Amino acid sequence: MSDGQLKAYYVYSPWLRIFHWLMVMSIVVLFFTGLYIGNPFFIGSQGLEPTYAFSERLSMETVRFIHFAAAFILVCAFVLRVYGFVVNKGDRLLPRFWTKQHWAWTMDIMLHYMLLRASHKPYLRNPLARMSYLGVYFLIGIEAITGFTMYVMVDPKSIWGQSFSLVNSLLINEYYVHLIHHYVAWLIIIFAVVHIYMAVRADFMEREGEISSMFSGVKFLAHQPVDLGEIATEEDSLVRYWDNIARDSRPHSG
Amino acid sequence: MQTNNSLWELFQKRGLSRRSFLKTCAMITGLLGLSPLKCTEVVAAAEEKNLPVVIWLHGHECTGCDESFLRSQTPLASDVILNMISVEYDDCLSAAAGEPFEQHFKEIIEKYAGQYILAVEGGVPLAENGIYCMVGGRPFVTVLKEAAAGAAAIVEYGSCSAWGGIQSAKPNPTNTVAVSQIVGGTTIVKVPGCPPIPEVMTAVIMHFALFGQLPPLDTSGRPKQFYGNRIHDTCYRRPFFDSGMFAERFDDAGAKAGWCLYKVGCRGPATYNSCGNMRWWNGLSYPIQSGHGCIGCSNNGFWDNDQFYERLPNIPISATIANADTIGAVATGVAVAGVVAHGALSVVEKYKRQRQSKPEEERRP
Ligand code: SF4
Repeated sequence: MSDGQLKAYYVYSPWLRIFHWLMVMSIVVLFFTGLYIGNPFFIGSQGLEPTYAFSERLSMETVRFIHFAAAFILVCAFVLRVYGFVVNKGDRLLPRFWTKQHWAWTMDIMLHYMLLRASHKPYLRNPLARMSYLGVYFLIGIEAITGFTMYVMVDPKSIWGQSFSLVNSLLINEYYVHLIHHYVAWLIIIFAVVHIYMAVRADFMEREGEISSMFSGVKFLAHQPVDLGEIATEEDSLVRYWDNIARDSRPHSG
Repeated sequence: MQTNNSLWELFQKRGLSRRSFLKTCAMITGLLGLSPLKCTEVVAAAEEKNLPVVIWLHGHECTGCDESFLRSQTPLASDVILNMISVEYDDCLSAAAGEPFEQHFKEIIEKYAGQYILAVEGGVPLAENGIYCMVGGRPFVTVLKEAAAGAAAIVEYGSCSAWGGIQSAKPNPTNTVAVSQIVGGTTIVKVPGCPPIPEVMTAVIMHFALFGQLPPLDTSGRPKQFYGNRIHDTCYRRPFFDSGMFAERFDDAGAKAGWCLYKVGCRGPATYNSCGNMRWWNGLSYPIQSGHGCIGCSNNGFWDNDQFYERLPNIPISATIANADTIGAVATGVAVAGVVAHGALSVVEKYKRQRQSKPEEERRP
């Protein structure tokens, strides 16, 4: 049903959107502080005593503190993601691996991305993207586990130290934990590069409000999306969106 | 043999005072990493427990662990060997040799079956039926299995017997494995290190001797009191690390001033051992104190984590000098280039499509 008119679909709850931007900020901070921690340098005057650097405010300790704080923010932000998942259908982006349809759609979008198919079916969230989100959560999970292993082993007697020390022995030794932490960090950055590109490209190619949807929660499609029933119902999405608009633009009568 | 004596009986025989016995017990308590309150238990055990029989086997290794053990200062290795334990068999420390010695081995594993402590130094080569390490004309793996069958406990001394050691480095031509991969079913404690700290070696054996059980172990099977902490968390150069002061090279001013060795490859942040707090030779020094970064010699697989003077290892592809961060940066660069190219193609695609669809629109009435 294409009548050339754009329809608004409310997809993402505020929880998901806040989570998304918290994740973006913490990953940026984690990545750059992580690069410093892996290969530190020092600018400023250094004396012979290890007290000089603290006045310069770029000490390993400070950078590590920022890294750990960002890590905690990232992990805690997942609470919002889970809450959004529970309360809003649009946040349930778990790819439906078990359906044939999922794989047919994946094929459709892949052919499009390989520039072999000029256009693809209209999706609220295309299945390839949904799979990649699952993938990036998985990568973040690895970062969290390896990161917290290194973090908590400062106090091996604590309950955390005792539970996470298993990771060290499973991964042969803690050196590999460091190594995996490094590699996976880069994988996440590569994801980010592709992700940002895909969002910009979608805006350019399809003009469906891809980027703004992560701020407003709303996407605009000219055609009825094929995955409408999966991640949002039509009335639901429209009604809620227009309700909001109406409420916002209602004149404040005395 | 003093096998059926307790430590206290031994002291009496030698005409030593009760006072020096108690002093020894207090020292042992500290050495074992126990709280001072446990001293009374140590005294009780030292009064009653018979000195343990120890069989010490040497496998695929360099005997460096023995060398380290001999330099134990507290207690003196000679005290341990001659007074505290009864070493019945040790290829390196025994005066006897040859066939009578091997005969003695057979006798003691029968006589003390189920009672002796088996200390093993060295990995177990399995390739070609174990012929890469022969002891008394027999493959080491056979001897080990024989001795392990009647052992009350097995102590894996050194990284070779605990993890496989340097000879198991890729591609491991002799197929060397750790002792615990060959013998199971008994209590096994790992005392890794290349070599382990001598005081740790003696302490572990004393702990078993006195209490009849192994000290509490961590998830990898190492005694917690000695392998609980990272060297990095106990290192005296840590303040330099925290304030970001690093030796960049071994000949720069930082190295001279004793700054942190993180950037010249120190493995302290990933290594569990007591070097930072106990140090070596009665607390004299340890590698980092002498100006060389830790190489993580008590870690499983440390031999494959080269280069030792870089923070990250080079990837195992020959003739490549790249580590995780170089690879990551290159891959990210490729990804950026890829999306730019893809973007350009997509733009072209879109304009082509628009041009094709325009005439159609114009044809419409
Ligand atoms: S010298 Fe090694 S163990 Fe010591 S603080 Fe530096 S990195 Fe850590």
